[in-house]
Amino acid sequence: MTSSRSAGSGSPIPSREFAVDPSEEPAYPRADAVAVALTLTVNGREQRLLVDSRASLLDTLRDHLGLTGAKKGCDHGQCGACTIHLDGRRVVSCLTLAAQANGRDVVTIEGLGGADGALHPMQQAFIDHDALQCGYCTPGQIMSAVACVREGHAASADDIREFMSGNLCRCGAYLGIAAAIQDAASRMREG
Amino acid sequence: MTIEIIESTQTYPLIGAGIDRVDGPLKVTGAARYPADVDLPNLAHAVLVRSTISAGKIRRIDTASAEAAAGVLAVLTHVNAPRIALGPKSPLGQTPPPPLQDDRIVQYGQYVAIVVAETIEQAAAAARLVQVDYEATDPLLELSDARAIRLENPYGTDLQRGNVSAAFDAADVKFEAGYTTPANTNNPLGLFATVAEWKGDTLTVHDATQWPSNVRPTLATMFGIPESGVRVLAPYVGGGFGAGLRVWPHVVLTVLAARTIGRPVKTVLTRPQMFTGIGHRPNTAQHVKLGAARDGRLLAIDHAGAESVALEDDNFEATTWGTASAYACANVSARDQQVRLNITAPGSMRAPGTAQGNFALESAIDELAYAIGMDPLALRRANYAEIEPQSGLPWSSNALHACYDEGAERFGWSRRAPQPRAMRDGRWLVGYGMASATYPWYQAPCRARVTLSRDGTAYVRSAATDIGTGTYTVMKQLAAETLGLTLDRVTFDLGDSSMPDSPQAGGSGLTIALGSAVYAACRNLVEKCLDVVRRDTREPLHDSSLDDVTAADDGIHRNDDAQLRSSYVEIMARHGLEDVTADGESTPATQEDTGFAPAGAFAAKFVEVRVDADLGLIRVARVVSAIDGGRILNEKLATSQVIGGTVGGIGMALFEETASDPGIGRIANATLADYLVAVNADIPAMEVIFVGAPDRMSPIGVKGVGEIGLVGIAAAIANAVYHATGVRVRDLPITLDRLL
Repeated sequence: MTSSRSAGSGSPIPSREFAVDPSEEPAYPRADAVAVALTLTVNGREQRLLVDSRASLLDTLRDHLGLTGAKKGCDHGQCGACTIHLDGRRVVSCLTLAAQANGRDVVTIEGLGGADGALHPMQQAFIDHDALQCGYCTPGQIMSAVACVREGHAASADDIREFMSGNLCRCGAYLGIAAAIQDAASRMREG
Repeated sequence: MTIEIIESTQTYPLIGAGIDRVDGPLKVTGAARYPADVDLPNLAHAVLVRSTISAGKIRRIDTASAEAAAGVLAVLTHVNAPRIALGPKSPLGQTPPPPLQDDRIVQYGQYVAIVVAETIEQAAAAARLVQVDYEATDPLLELSDARAIRLENPYGTDLQRGNVSAAFDAADVKFEAGYTTPANTNNPLGLFATVAEWKGDTLTVHDATQWPSNVRPTLATMFGIPESGVRVLAPYVGGGFGAGLRVWPHVVLTVLAARTIGRPVKTVLTRPQMFTGIGHRPNTAQHVKLGAARDGRLLAIDHAGAESVALEDDNFEATTWGTASAYACANVSARDQQVRLNITAPGSMRAPGTAQGNFALESAIDELAYAIGMDPLALRRANYAEIEPQSGLPWSSNALHACYDEGAERFGWSRRAPQPRAMRDGRWLVGYGMASATYPWYQAPCRARVTLSRDGTAYVRSAATDIGTGTYTVMKQLAAETLGLTLDRVTFDLGDSSMPDSPQAGGSGLTIALGSAVYAACRNLVEKCLDVVRRDTREPLHDSSLDDVTAADDGIHRNDDAQLRSSYVEIMARHGLEDVTADGESTPATQEDTGFAPAGAFAAKFVEVRVDADLGLIRVARVVSAIDGGRILNEKLATSQVIGGTVGGIGMALFEETASDPGIGRIANATLADYLVAVNADIPAMEVIFVGAPDRMSPIGVKGVGEIGLVGIAAAIANAVYHATGVRVRDLPITLDRLL
């Protein structure tokens, strides 16, 4: 394979992190792992991890930290099922490399409720409005919904529908989702 | 035989009450464990490699680089994979052929290798190193391809009555047209996942299935082990919409890989693989001929459908099946044909067959109404089938008239201007459209078991699944009601093949089958309690039979004297019992048993669309669905089901089309960015009205509402688009370019 297709070229990851000399790169894609050491905060706890440089934040949360609340629905940032909060902003964790989360603050659905196990008002509103069926998109919907409110994008039903359209629900619970967010938004503002 | 329909006995009736989804708390906290969430010690990860051609054979497959890659544990191809037996037939047809058995390629996306590695990253990277050299041949891809094998009456559902051609020829008004529907892909959000673990000759499989009781015997046969050695677990499934009804090749390959490396293996399909490996709604080409009298009476209906099917697989897609019983018409022919093609295997997708067939029939009925100059709703009323027209028997239930009446009233159908393009709101052309709908009755045998413990709590279970339908919730309600227990004393569990056998979550048939089995089990349990006290004259309920008593208030009392009662806790304590277990089973009643034609759910769908007069943008503005689903066990959840079906129907009407490259068969839009499904902003205000009475085919009176929400939406939207614009679109999806 020509060097122009080596994994090192154009990569945001500094070449010194590769295990081998880039000039001796094997054919793209690389089939050998490069370990990356990370320190990040997940749901308020510091985590030190050694991960594959190719690992997504989603797979890292699920496979290394046992936090399987965030779901993989497409692995391409197209469905929103893996939505988490990174430094307080909603991101799709499948399109975020674990390495990008180094030194940052991650909140997943498992960390949304109170320490006493109490549900977040958004979680309760999803139950109240039956805003879920199979439940697979639900953690992503809820993380996205909480951010939607905090961003100030839940002022009207139309706003909610627009700013929640990155989170697909194939069961079709959209009406319940929009209603739950309207309901929880007022409680979140009061709270 | 008359089936006695139960009535709600509790002071606070549990059946029908809109209680919250009982699995809600687990799902909103991320604690519900789906198959992809399963982790096991020493778990290895698998990634599948798919063919890039649709027909031909593998000349050479080079796995050396993949095998040499870091972390790789095994690479299986047709060259080194062990032989796997053909799976058994299920009621849905033959199990899909076992993978990796020879060098032939019959569809795009067929698995050609499975790569197993220590981590998902290693497996994914190594899978890309597998080199395949194909010898491609010209694939059969189009329904119209003259070379393709055509199966006549493939489902045995073709129906004829009267003399259609003579009646059509003699009719005052004649209408005929062709309609097409494209391939749609189920795309449940949950990527299908399988985790397989062998311990000696016993196998445990966590799988995204809608039917554990089918996966178990299928894997047992394919791997040559006793059924008792297989356990299939699916407590939570991330949607399915029919995709989880069969044992697809990725399940078999995962089991094979686990056996090969002697470690548990997990496979999670990628989204593109979700387009090629777990079925889809096949495309159809249909032709409808209608003959009518000037007053709107239908004199002839002729409905022919052709559906694609994979070259070497089965699929039940009875597209014209519902037509013969849709209207009171003496002369009807409804027939299907399947065309074998080199396409990715179709399977069931929400309202299989009926979704497409209803679109053609209900579009044609609308077109006939304009040809006669009659209100489309009035035309449907004029042809209402008072009795089931094919058998001549009374329906087991039919509130279609009430669907028409209440739906039209709520929608404001009377405000509709008769002519197309006559209603406008600024730049928006406004259209009203409606469609009639039914989904066929279906029930299969089912078993359930209930155990009552000395603390007065009941544990009820069956090997069913809850794919978001609300099974956990409504079965808990039903068991609590039947046992006379408060909800907090009842647990309902499912999703484990070691529980009593259940049919699939599919065909709108699970609630009637499982509900009847749970009801029977709970009644048998009450009877067992009566047996315990039967000969003990100190017991208030001694010598009582099931007919003498009512279960209520955490116990049982006599109907003739409510003071004569015992709580379950008292009975068990007095007789030193730790627990009492009872089984229940249900078998479908037949029309010979009951004298009724079994009726599925009925519905009338009313839709308002708005079309931008200049740009052709189409917006669904509101939908009213009036549903006769028999007894509704939980109105809150049933409403969600119908709304969800409607969202799927909007997708089918306006967005969804699995596109493939002409002549090649590659799926060209196999991502969720390219295959459009309805998003939140696409979904308008909706109302769901339930009408009708308990159905007479089962003691619990339900009909199932899993599919009926979808059926009719595509036609109602097409009819509303015509009313708004004067443009008739007979080929789905209805995109703006068709309107310009």
